[in-house]
Amino acid sequence: MNANSIPAGRAGPGDGIPTPPPKIRHRGDARLYRAITIALLAIAVMAPVGLIIYQSFLDGPFFSPRSTLGLSAYGYVLTDPMFWEALWTTTVFAFGMVAIAVPLGGLLAFLLTRTDIRLKRTLEILVLVPMFISSIVLAFGYTVSVGPSGFVSMWMRSVLGFVPWNLYSLPGIILIAGLSHVPHVYLYVSAAMRNLPSDLEEAARTVGASIWQVSRDVTLPMVLPALIFAAALNLLLGFETFGIPLVLGDPNGILVLTTYIYKLTTLFGVPTYQLMAVVAVVLILITLPLVFFQRRLLRNSRRYAALGGKGARATPLKLGARGQAIALSIIGFWLFVSVILPIGGITVRAFVSAWGQGINLWDHLTLANFDRMLSVPSLSRGIVNTLLLSVLGGAAAVFLYLLIGLAGHRNTGHSNTVLDYIVLLPRALPGLVVGLAFFWVFLFVPFLTPLRPTLIALFVAYMIVGLSYGLRLLQGTLIQVAPELEESARTTGATIGRTWRDVVIPIVRPGLAGAWALIMIIFLRDYATGVYLMGAGTEVIGSLMVTLLQTGAMDTIAALAFISIIMTAAGLTLALRLGAKIHD
Amino acid sequence: MKLTRRAFAITSCALALAAGAGWAQDIPDGYPEDYAQLVEAAKAQGRVVIYTSTDMAQAQAMLDAFTQKYGIQIEYNDLGTNGAYNRAISEAAANQMSADIVWSSAMDLQVVLAAEGYAETYASPEVGNLPDWAVYNDQIYATTVEPIGIIYNTGAISEDEFPRSRADLIAYLNDNQDALRGKVASFDPEKSGTGFLHHTNDVEQTDDFWDLAKAMGAVDVRTYSSSGSMRETVVSGENVMAINIIGSYALEWVEDSPNLGVAFGDDYTAAFSRLALLTKGAPHPEAGRLLIDFMLSQQGQSALAAGGLPSVRNDVSEGLDIESLGERVGGNLRPIPVSEELLNYMAPQKRVEFFREWNAAIK
Amino acid sequence: MTELIVENVQKWLGGLQILKGASLSAERGSIMALLGASGSGKTTLLRCIAGLEQPEIGHIRIGDKVALDSEKRIQLPPEQRNIGLVFQSYALWPHRTVKENVGYGLKLRGVNAAETGKRIQHILDRLGLGHLADRYPSQLSGGQQQRVAICRALVYEPRVLLLDEPLSNLDAKLREEARYWIRKLILDLEICAILVTHDQTEALAAADHILLLENGRIVQDGSPHDIYTNPTSFYAADFLGANNIARGKVLTLNGNEVLLGGDGWQLNGAVRDPAGLAPGADAQAVIRVERVRVLPEPGAGRIEMQLDDSLYLGDRWEYRLRRGDFALKAHGAHSLPAGRVYADIPPEHVWVFPGQAA
Repeated sequence: MNANSIPAGRAGPGDGIPTPPPKIRHRGDARLYRAITIALLAIAVMAPVGLIIYQSFLDGPFFSPRSTLGLSAYGYVLTDPMFWEALWTTTVFAFGMVAIAVPLGGLLAFLLTRTDIRLKRTLEILVLVPMFISSIVLAFGYTVSVGPSGFVSMWMRSVLGFVPWNLYSLPGIILIAGLSHVPHVYLYVSAAMRNLPSDLEEAARTVGASIWQVSRDVTLPMVLPALIFAAALNLLLGFETFGIPLVLGDPNGILVLTTYIYKLTTLFGVPTYQLMAVVAVVLILITLPLVFFQRRLLRNSRRYAALGGKGARATPLKLGARGQAIALSIIGFWLFVSVILPIGGITVRAFVSAWGQGINLWDHLTLANFDRMLSVPSLSRGIVNTLLLSVLGGAAAVFLYLLIGLAGHRNTGHSNTVLDYIVLLPRALPGLVVGLAFFWVFLFVPFLTPLRPTLIALFVAYMIVGLSYGLRLLQGTLIQVAPELEESARTTGATIGRTWRDVVIPIVRPGLAGAWALIMIIFLRDYATGVYLMGAGTEVIGSLMVTLLQTGAMDTIAALAFISIIMTAAGLTLALRLGAKIHD
Repeated sequence: MKLTRRAFAITSCALALAAGAGWAQDIPDGYPEDYAQLVEAAKAQGRVVIYTSTDMAQAQAMLDAFTQKYGIQIEYNDLGTNGAYNRAISEAAANQMSADIVWSSAMDLQVVLAAEGYAETYASPEVGNLPDWAVYNDQIYATTVEPIGIIYNTGAISEDEFPRSRADLIAYLNDNQDALRGKVASFDPEKSGTGFLHHTNDVEQTDDFWDLAKAMGAVDVRTYSSSGSMRETVVSGENVMAINIIGSYALEWVEDSPNLGVAFGDDYTAAFSRLALLTKGAPHPEAGRLLIDFMLSQQGQSALAAGGLPSVRNDVSEGLDIESLGERVGGNLRPIPVSEELLNYMAPQKRVEFFREWNAAIK
Repeated sequence: MTELIVENVQKWLGGLQILKGASLSAERGSIMALLGASGSGKTTLLRCIAGLEQPEIGHIRIGDKVALDSEKRIQLPPEQRNIGLVFQSYALWPHRTVKENVGYGLKLRGVNAAETGKRIQHILDRLGLGHLADRYPSQLSGGQQQRVAICRALVYEPRVLLLDEPLSNLDAKLREEARYWIRKLILDLEICAILVTHDQTEALAAADHILLLENGRIVQDGSPHDIYTNPTSFYAADFLGANNIARGKVLTLNGNEVLLGGDGWQLNGAVRDPAGLAPGADAQAVIRVERVRVLPEPGAGRIEMQLDDSLYLGDRWEYRLRRGDFALKAHGAHSLPAGRVYADIPPEHVWVFPGQAA
């Protein structure tokens, strides 16, 4: 009787059929929802990316009827010595950044997770601060504090007779970028270290190894996957960095790929979108393998972390009095350099009209820089818009990321692999280029044109730029819901939609609040995405700073940067209040 | 109820007519008699959109005066020179032109816009009050005269010491190479359209620009994309001087910076202009025409001059105008004419040649 | 009345077949246990019935509804199968009170508020949880949580109640009690229940019917008594009870009677599975510990053995015996001195199966 149920050509039941017959999926799987959500997301991501790739194969703007298909843009860029110089500088920059950020971030993670260092709880938050400051703000801040005429440099000169550093050199820029990216490394490595059982370290200590030997011989090899992951991430960020080279590298002719793109806007007088697109494609080709490599690593490291087990209780290693002093001063010095110096610089600059050699800052104290915020409509609008975008837009983005996260939640189909790759794609592109592509999308896609002069256009671009970070936050939260909690709702009679609404979402709600605060900060600090996209009525602080840099209105830039820092600080406080898991 | 509404309608019509009549009487000399109709149509449009590279703070007085006079709202987009140009041509391609006026200091890009058919022809009644060089084809109008000059840190060089002519400047750079090394700033023509214009105009107008470039190269000149960021470095002492910057800004800056000096060549001072044009397909064409006329009018020019943008006319009530500016810079003011000549350096070949020569000179 | 029919359910995981054609049918007012070692597919089968796993092949009918029909490509989602499932971890929703947990199924079925309240209170009272209705799951003990989970799965009167190792998270004493009251509850309410367990005592005590699974296949089904006393395979014989295993060769085979021998020992037994049994072939015998008697003096059919040690277990003694490579465990009331003893092993309780060599 059973023979009937076996598809023709297959062996009888229970005879070890080599390949399984096709799945019969039931309809209660929200497959339609998953498919639609992933398809919509794919369109939102592929539209700008596709446009850029298409543009790169034209010899003029894609919207010009005179443009023809060809490889001339590639020909120009690939034979331009400036491009190769920029590529080389970018590579040196990215690897230099990794060389600074990874060891320091690893050390910091070790000290804060595996030892009994004092002030641990405070430090855990403080060390993340540089990550939340927009790099363009950092760069402005550094010029005022440690630039050739910066107040710290002047003090140095009065003590030593010379200034022992040059902020505007490639090593100077690499150092600053490296220091400001330490938190990115710390985050991943500390997460891995927290999961390590401490008995191995204890065993090593009992046989007489010093704390440094333990960290080198025991801890380091075990967190190597996390370190490699963080290195790959920083390499990626290094290739896409824009703010620091724009402000600190440009005057001395230090050009990286992103500033090379920016320069192509002016080089020919008229826009050379095709050349910009080519460089963007080159960036994609460089970063995409990195992104995929990261994805593999992440999978492996998850497996690895699962092996480590959760219950592993870590007994901190004892640093001892001297160890404490050394560790705290390393962290203190790093915080001084990467937080106090730039924020101090920006704060000073925001409240004076002139600074530098032979100028007494007290004589030039002023609030005039802030007066402008009120009197110039575009600036006050910029502040309001930035608030709207980060607070409301951040909430809306979290909601969308949640919908996307649910579409991928316990999804076993192929669409999930598609989703994974779609999410990673925008990460391979600098925000500047994503913003430009969305400007075109909103200009040329008929039913979208009414949205272009609204904040919605910016919101969509921000949403896509923040996609991979935001979705990972949400997925991390969703995965914490035990599968039986959902299954029990299903067997009790709830559809998958009801299950999400009645069980999954209520359980992850605290996590959503934290994610909202973090996305808010990400949107707050963004400066590149809006450069091409914003218009009258849709100004945002970050991109205003970039465009103001064209006219060089430093007073205004400083005031905006200061406001941006205040807003970020408020966001961070809120995030901590809401119990955001910054450490995940 | 019905009656009341009708009464209201009649009253407002009457008021509107009265207002129109009032304007008719106000029409200045040289304006056409039907100008009141233009004003009415513009008011009906209610708003006007500008794409510009001018810092809003400097234009504020003029914009306010316009809105106050006509009750027309101005949507002001400071996009930078390239931003204004790029957005205008992208929107034109998408048939989505949302700018009425492009008002930009990138004189060459403005002429490109006109040459490629993005500009509407409009003969402003103010033409008679402008110098000949300031009007192109009844499409582009120069609204300012802004001298190109040098700023310097008075803590490093005293006013008496500072060179007065181009030749002196070259000599000064060559004589003080050690003191000036890495402390001289100038525009980067590759990154700034304004800088490109300043430098290439010098190439055309003078015969010693390349000597100057080489002298700058010999002291490892540092290049910037804006006057403002150069000002920041000169005030702070990071740089000693900045060459070929926008002098009209500098004239304002020296007022409130204690250690900043400004200098213009006694023998030759070039000047550029911010050019305004009406776009083809402008969403508010009448309002746009009205704004162009206002910008060129005595009232508008005075407001601009008060904001630090010297007038292209010679009869403003506030600030500098083309005559007083000429005196201020030593008598040899040479505005860059609005003409097709500006297109010369738009040819890629010519640009590449210039960049090659420039890079060879400064490196 | 038959509430559940499962026919030839087959399921793959990747390239691996984890259910190889399972069939069963279950009646109202009875408990069926799915018993097997871990990896035998018992939980997968339960999840297939619940709709949480999607088998590629098979038929499942729950009540009068077709839940799975692989030819017609019908596969009902769990929420349309009208079942109740009690999870091993209980899976109580942490953000809902006991009352809300239990009432959720009624809410989903559109039962009005008054009726819902009444039914929740009734079932909670019945399981002695009435006073805990407003607590959150985290405020309950393990046993209380388990009872809430059962209430939640029963309150909307599903056609079939599925229990996935419901007792494994309780401590030993509570488990014995729960075994009893769950059985009583199910019989009182006349529900059709499927119980997944790896604990033979649980299956024997609580179920009316046991299905024994091995490697995704049902190897034997029958009443607890039948399965325990009449196993048809070595796996079934060995899985249940406390056993001695004797591995050797068939010396003589005479119908159902067999003589098994090894290094220095011989044993008369009864053939349970004749496949592959022939003189000289490898064979193995299962002897329930309780069937062996150890005596100090020889007698008919007794085997002389060496007693290595007697272990005190509280209620009885355990003897460790040896003869050649044949080791034997047995129980008795008294401590015996180490040395020579005689084991009485009735041949009908020496169940001989083919050896594992194949």
